[in-house]
Amino acid sequence: MSSGPLTAGRRDRPADQASSGEDGGAVRRGGAITALRGRVLQEALTVVAFMVIFAVYGGWLGGKFFNVKALILDVHNTVPSLLLALAVVVTLIAGQFDLSVTGVATCATFLSVGLTIKQGWPEAAAVVLVLVGGVAAGLLNALLVVGLRVNTFIATLGTNGLFLGISAVYSGGGQVSVPLGGRQLPGWFSTIGAFTGKCWPWLTWTVIAVAVVLGLRGALARRPARLTPPVWAGLCGVAVVAAAAVAELVLRLSEVVDNLSWAVALLLAVACVLWLVVGHTVFGRNLRATGANSTAAWLTGVRTARVTTAAFVIGGAVSAVAGIVLGSALGSATPDAAGSFLLPAFAAAFLSTVLFSSGRFHVWGTVIGGVFLVWVGQGLISGGVNFTWMDVINGLVLISAVAISTTFSRKGRPT
Amino acid sequence: MCMARVDRSVHKRGRATSPQIPPEEHRLAGSAGAPLPEARPIDIVSLHKRFGSVSVLRGIDLQLRAGEVVGLMGPNGAGKSTLLKTLSGLYSPDGGQILLGGEPVRSLGDRPEVAFIHQDLGLIDEMSITDNLRLAQRPSYRVWPLLDHQSEDRLARRALQFVGLALRPSTKVGELSPAEKTLVAIARAFARGASTLFVDEATSTLATSSARRVIEVLRSLARAGAIVVLITHKLSEILEAADRVVVLLDGQIVTDDPAAGLDREALVAKMRSVDSRHAPRDDGAGDGPGAELVRFEQVRSQRCGPVTLTVRAGEAVGLTGTPGSGLHDIGLMAAGLVAPVAGKVHRAPGVRCGLVPPHRETQGGFNDLQVRENMSISALPQWRNRIGLLDGRRESRHVAGIAARLSVTPRSPSAPFWVLSGGNKQKAIFGRLLLQQPDVFVLCEPTRGVDVATRAEIYSLITQLRRDGRGVLVLSSDAEDLLAVCDRIATVGSGPVEEPEPVGALSTGQLEGIL
Ligand SMILES: Nc1ncnc2c1ncn2[C@@H]1O[C@H](COP(=O)(O)OP(=O)(O)OP(=O)(O)O)[C@@H](O)[C@H]1O
Ligand SMILES: [Mg+2]
Repeated sequence: MSSGPLTAGRRDRPADQASSGEDGGAVRRGGAITALRGRVLQEALTVVAFMVIFAVYGGWLGGKFFNVKALILDVHNTVPSLLLALAVVVTLIAGQFDLSVTGVATCATFLSVGLTIKQGWPEAAAVVLVLVGGVAAGLLNALLVVGLRVNTFIATLGTNGLFLGISAVYSGGGQVSVPLGGRQLPGWFSTIGAFTGKCWPWLTWTVIAVAVVLGLRGALARRPARLTPPVWAGLCGVAVVAAAAVAELVLRLSEVVDNLSWAVALLLAVACVLWLVVGHTVFGRNLRATGANSTAAWLTGVRTARVTTAAFVIGGAVSAVAGIVLGSALGSATPDAAGSFLLPAFAAAFLSTVLFSSGRFHVWGTVIGGVFLVWVGQGLISGGVNFTWMDVINGLVLISAVAISTTFSRKGRPT
Repeated sequence: MCMARVDRSVHKRGRATSPQIPPEEHRLAGSAGAPLPEARPIDIVSLHKRFGSVSVLRGIDLQLRAGEVVGLMGPNGAGKSTLLKTLSGLYSPDGGQILLGGEPVRSLGDRPEVAFIHQDLGLIDEMSITDNLRLAQRPSYRVWPLLDHQSEDRLARRALQFVGLALRPSTKVGELSPAEKTLVAIARAFARGASTLFVDEATSTLATSSARRVIEVLRSLARAGAIVVLITHKLSEILEAADRVVVLLDGQIVTDDPAAGLDREALVAKMRSVDSRHAPRDDGAGDGPGAELVRFEQVRSQRCGPVTLTVRAGEAVGLTGTPGSGLHDIGLMAAGLVAPVAGKVHRAPGVRCGLVPPHRETQGGFNDLQVRENMSISALPQWRNRIGLLDGRRESRHVAGIAARLSVTPRSPSAPFWVLSGGNKQKAIFGRLLLQQPDVFVLCEPTRGVDVATRAEIYSLITQLRRDGRGVLVLSSDAEDLLAVCDRIATVGSGPVEEPEPVGALSTGQLEGIL
């Protein structure tokens, strides 16, 4: 979302910023280029590390790992946890920890399944109620953290327990599932979470086309002064064709589109909206400012209380969506359905701070980080490692991501 | 036990040194142990520091000898703070040597006899003054590991007295004004018994009078055999305190002369800059004061008041005061961020206020955000396009324009804010207001830590704003600011503050009082 190469201050090699500036003063050209190369290496370090892992998997497992359908299935199965990661990252940007996301998701799963099966509500009404509930959960967190100034960990840990408790009371402690011969969940609802429910390819292609057109338009407007318009347009055209070739031949774009499930499409849509909101609106800037230094934000006139509240509300709503997807995928609700997602969600969010080495939380970085994380784990599992190792992997990645980002970006930095 | 020994040794020294300071206060300067030993000479040989490909220090050669106050000057971004941070070991040098008493050392930071007071002070806001002082010293124990709070409190109380602060030692540092924090940081260095003191713009937050007191103390320390290196942008302080003047320009020492032969003009010439005092002051231009924008009616804050004050369009009103007088509370109330304890702040309908907060390190900037984001934060709505998304290119263009006008370096708008030098941070925050274009500019310490040339630039910008029909409220502990740009001025003290008087109507006596 940050277009500029913000290398959030590595004290070790800080010349990056000083020299990479478009007009960075008396910087020798050679120096600038060295610095640039150095930065690309550092920035890509995490991505390169993942690529090496995947390459190793490829050599080891071959088609068992490099299989578009299987890889997308892995992503599909992780959509609820990735949505929770998005919920978490929005609050993290505002400088808050929301530990209640899994509680909200669990509650949402129970209600989206149970209201239809047990109470006989129309599914659409249940979904709407759950979304409203997610917003209300966010408001409750905000009330505690912003209004009553309860420490954010304690407040959201408490509300997490509260929501889990409500789910348990609602279900009587057990699980809610479709009884044999009883009321069924409607087909459209089950489609959301099923891998067989594919997003219409024409829709995906249209979105891709629009994105390419918009991107091209932006690129054309950014012509460097050195180049004449026809040359620049030609270069852009070549770039588009090359990108298309890579996408099709290497990334198997058409196969990806054919296998794109509704759940994954939903994830991408939510990420896209959050990316625009966080990176390209006044609200998003205020959100970052509040997270970076709330006193300074307040002094510049940012309504920090409102901004923080909005962050919690967005987090609650996105968690509710995660719960709905989970309910739809399982066709039932169990008390511990979402509990194990907290760690991978935070891991993905923190991974975003090192992935593009911008040193800050990043919406697309979170999605990509989460997806990489899943693939690393799934590769091991398809290689014969027991799936119980998954949390060990997640934990290790979370810790190393945070350790890397703090050593690189904060060393000696004034606090 | 231990305490008694300390006290005795210190008494001896207290008598030996400068008579202006009562012995009670002097006890503190050596409270950590033996009487101030003669500082060992420090030689800096060809010191280099680069950040990536940018050379910030390019071969610094400097000899420091006991008994000297060295004034270190240079424009913003010259590398003064970097020099100190390299000496203190916060950065590792890329070349050159540091010799302490003739022996090469890796850094001076881990020597108890050398103290550094950085621009960002290094105090911990969440801890009390006593705890902050203890961090610098060997703790005194009742029975190990239980701390002797009484003696620590006593020490802290003396340390505070020494710098003229009437505060409880249990006060949290976070509750102090920037100026009070600076004084605590100085007290801490003294309490530790340092014989060499590097001070980075510690006086820039202080009112002229308290700065003078601090400088007197620094001088008497030097007479007693200490080395004091003082970074400041205030020429008057250099002329008053320094025995030797060192000017840094682009990471190199361009001047290293005894202060005796220098006067103001010569100094300015050395810095190759313009002197603010002699910058033409054009009053009269513009239409004079217009509509009333902000009016204070018997307004009280926690610390000051009642204040009566009017800011009209097209005029600059200035207030000055000592630290702790609540000067900056007036700014927060004028900007509508804090509600007064009593009285009322009237703001004309639709009037927008913009604020430069007094303390840029903690209240001004977003260290982890880009310079561009820091500057544009108050002005964002103007760059929204039809569908409410920000037009990043227009934003960057505007920001770059203002940054160039204020000569914020490094130029790269995507650099994180924290790499900026102190003065450049101040410029960026001032630029934020120029982008926002509010009707009333509330400027707390607008020239704190900026170099002579930028000070002149800021003064001319304020004059320009006034001429454009904006209201300007300057709240500065540096009386020079008020005299340079304000139409009407007043002093904030313990009593009520009356409507500021026109500068021309003040008698010389009144003016001297303010200065
Ligand atoms: N960690 C860093 N990384 C990159 N550049 C840095 C870093 N620290 C300082 N700089 C750059 O080095 C230059 C010198 O900064 P320094 O803080 O030493 O200036 P200064 O002389 O203290 O200025 P001021 O009077 O404004 O305080 C500035 O251009 C600054 O941006
Ligand atoms: Mg500095």
